[in-house]
Amino acid sequence: MTDLLEVRNLSKQFKSSGGPFRKPRAMYAVNDVSFDLAKGRVIGVVGESGCGKSTLARLILRLIEPSTGSLRFDGDDLRAKSPAAMRRLRADMQMVFQDPYSAIDPRYTITRALIEPFVVQGRYTNGTADQEVSELLTLVGLSPGLASSFPHQISGGQKQRVGIARALALRPRLLVLDEPTASLDVSVQAQIISLLEKLRDDLGLTYLFISHDLSLVRYFCDEILVMYLGRVVEALPETDATVRHPYTATLMDSTFAPDPRQRRIIAPLEGEVPSPFDQPPGCAFADRCPRATAICRSETPVLSTAFGHAVACHNPL
Amino acid sequence: MLEVRDLEVAFGQIAPLCGVSFALEKGETLGIVGESGSGKSLTAMSVMGLLPLSGGRITAGSIIFDGQELTKLPEAAYRKLRGGRLGLITQNPMTSLDPLQKIGPQVDAVARLHLGITGQQARARTIEILGTLRIPEPALICDRYPHQMSGGMKQRIVIAGALAANPDLLVADEPTTALDVTVQAQIIRLLDDLVKERALSLVLITHDMSVVAQTCDKVVVMYAGRAIEQGPVEAIFAEPQHPYTQALIGCIPKGLSEDEHLVGIPGTVPTVMNYPKGCPFHPRCIRAEDICTKTSPSLLPRGDGAVSCHFPGAAP
Repeated sequence: MTDLLEVRNLSKQFKSSGGPFRKPRAMYAVNDVSFDLAKGRVIGVVGESGCGKSTLARLILRLIEPSTGSLRFDGDDLRAKSPAAMRRLRADMQMVFQDPYSAIDPRYTITRALIEPFVVQGRYTNGTADQEVSELLTLVGLSPGLASSFPHQISGGQKQRVGIARALALRPRLLVLDEPTASLDVSVQAQIISLLEKLRDDLGLTYLFISHDLSLVRYFCDEILVMYLGRVVEALPETDATVRHPYTATLMDSTFAPDPRQRRIIAPLEGEVPSPFDQPPGCAFADRCPRATAICRSETPVLSTAFGHAVACHNPL
Repeated sequence: MLEVRDLEVAFGQIAPLCGVSFALEKGETLGIVGESGSGKSLTAMSVMGLLPLSGGRITAGSIIFDGQELTKLPEAAYRKLRGGRLGLITQNPMTSLDPLQKIGPQVDAVARLHLGITGQQARARTIEILGTLRIPEPALICDRYPHQMSGGMKQRIVIAGALAANPDLLVADEPTTALDVTVQAQIIRLLDDLVKERALSLVLITHDMSVVAQTCDKVVVMYAGRAIEQGPVEAIFAEPQHPYTQALIGCIPKGLSEDEHLVGIPGTVPTVMNYPKGCPFHPRCIRAEDICTKTSPSLLPRGDGAVSCHFPGAAP
């Protein structure tokens, strides 16, 4: 199996410039993230808000510039590309955004929104546009009759389908899906997920799927990266792999089963995600971790495969 | 403790809620579950007597709280009840606290107003309640402003405010929707403990079937302003009778079995302006027949619960 995407030691540091009453500060939104995404696979990235998963998505498409690290797409070094070359390459790698309500220009008709990618890439030809648009709409299960509608005339689920159609317009190979169902009702979420499954099979797509919903990720993805405060703390090679990191275990426990016969007395994790500024040394999870020992507060654990798959923990389960 | 019968709500000519009935005992948790626009928040607002704020009114039915009819209660009497014996926890803790006031006075005010105690007594109570909600260093927290706290902490403060006057009934409208999963688990656990320790009655409004499965004794499933199925939680999950309830449960990914396949429900939830004729679910229903497009089914007892469908029954 060949790797479509190769991410090595990717980091992004954000700096705040400070002011009269505040010193300049810096934080890592994404810190030393590495993974490979093979063709046709689906990797899920899970974590709570502020863990850096959306920043990671944007870094991969170079919508924001990485601070350090390398990115390879189908063998090409992305960070060496000029902005113009990068723009051409993005025809192969597209993104679906979280909020379909703000991802489409409210003044554009659906047709205009869907031909935008062709215009950007300089591939727009007047004669074939209508044909392309109705093919794209059919592909995502919408009626071609919606082409002349405006975004406010269609529902949230339909808007997200338009968002997916727009991402597919240039026949990309990689789709980065940033919480594509987070703002939708469950019945519509399930529709969109089954559409994405179908598209993956029909078009041979590769997905990077970002979500805060572990049960959805376990259902939809082949592999899972669990992030906490900018770092990957565990990389599960299969969705049913044995969980080693205490944080992943907590996430699993916090996910409720939709079955009243399986009520669990969960011991919820106390505390909350700490501020990414001025992090104390050691493991970022140490303060909330039931297994934390002295070493966790002095040394930052690195990802190690000593336990079968990559886990960053001094005292894995 | 609470009995709602055939509740109907109207905003001018539009009737977004019709024929909702349920009853709740002391120490019980009732879940009201449905997708956006199903009328679940409206039901909560009706119980709290807050409909006039948004221009709605109750046109039929009754709400009886501890033997007292609420629909005809004058506003002054409602004010005594609301925040006192009736507590409300709103969805967004970021906007339900006053940003300009410290935490302590905001929670104190509830007890001072409803229990008629002095400021000092109220503060002692506040600190005690914050402690029972597992807020670290409650005395220090009283001097903080809401913006200095995280979302989960703010939601605990909102809960503290709702508990300050010893309510008998708590209405929680999507209390964990704005929170992360680990924090959601904390808050749900906390509410569950409160119900048990204080013999509270809790109306929990949510769109999340998993939260319902983990916390509630009874469930009301709403769709397009109607209760389409209700009953004990075990029955609703084990043998749902309404095709919508079945589909809704089918939308949640359960486990890791390879043959599990999410399908979703075709179409979308209708808006108030275009509720379909007949059964509101018929355009999306796999069992719909001619009669479903014409007459609206009524909520009839079936098994341990009740269901509103022309063709109720277990999934094929």
